[in-house]
Amino acid sequence: MSERAKLLKEIQEVGFTMDDLLLYLDTHPLDQDALKAFAQARERRYQLTREYSGRFEPLTLCQVCPDTNNKTGTFTKYPGQKHFTWSDGPLPWDNQGGV
Amino acid sequence: MWTYEKRLQYPVNITKTCPKTASLIISQFGGPDGEMAASMRYLSQRYTMPCKEVAGLLTDIGTEELAHLEIICAMIFQLTKNMNAQDAQTAGFDAYYVDHTAGIWPTAAAGVPFNACEFQSKGDAITDLFEDLAAEQKARSTYENLIRIIPDPEVREPLKYLREREVVHFQRFGEALEKLKTDLDAKNFYYFNAEFDHKR
Repeated sequence: MSERAKLLKEIQEVGFTMDDLLLYLDTHPLDQDALKAFAQARERRYQLTREYSGRFEPLTLCQVCPDTNNKTGTFTKYPGQKHFTWSDGPLPWDNQGGV
Repeated sequence: MWTYEKRLQYPVNITKTCPKTASLIISQFGGPDGEMAASMRYLSQRYTMPCKEVAGLLTDIGTEELAHLEIICAMIFQLTKNMNAQDAQTAGFDAYYVDHTAGIWPTAAAGVPFNACEFQSKGDAITDLFEDLAAEQKARSTYENLIRIIPDPEVREPLKYLREREVVHFQRFGEALEKLKTDLDAKNFYYFNAEFDHKR
């Protein structure tokens, strides 16, 4: 598995942790253990997505920063040129096995 | 409003073209208990939901269903991506191919087009939550029907994940229903419409 795929998998895992905790906290807003787990997942996700958008394409519009995104210059039509990085990267529905 | 995150909630990596399988799982996109009906159902119901926490839950589950819709569409796309005219004649996909080629279009497995009647919104909190609980169970049953007849592990894994989420959503809606009942007048919540007959 490539570095990109490995990092994306980690983001999917921590993203899922947050998705699941979100619904749990909607109906258990005072559960202190769940609040702690949510805070940990949120921090981890922040670190991972920041690392991902630096090395590869940004996953959200808030992470679009032409000066710092996609240092590896992969999946882009404009390697080495300052450009709008939102369109970098493969499409989510394209088979990404091992990419 | 919504913002887009450029990734799937669960990875889909299907390497074997199989339009027949696509013609079956498409029901979870445009069928009666599919992901589109689910997301539109919850996102429509939330406006008149008298309990703020439950309206919030409807928003969050409705949003997750949109991500599930994307997973199902990605699966259909990958199953038909390299389809040739010969493959298109595979039983169950030739009729779809004639009208839509490999384009993604919402329909049930049996060929019935998506119908807005499938996203029920009654404007009665108790009625709507029972509807949602039933919808999650119907979606779970549909995923089980698919998993029973589809052997390819690359297709089964995302389907198993989506099935699990229906179970979790059922649990959360059950909790929301209990919460709602404690907020309403215990003497009459099965007899009157809490959204309409009682002023908040």
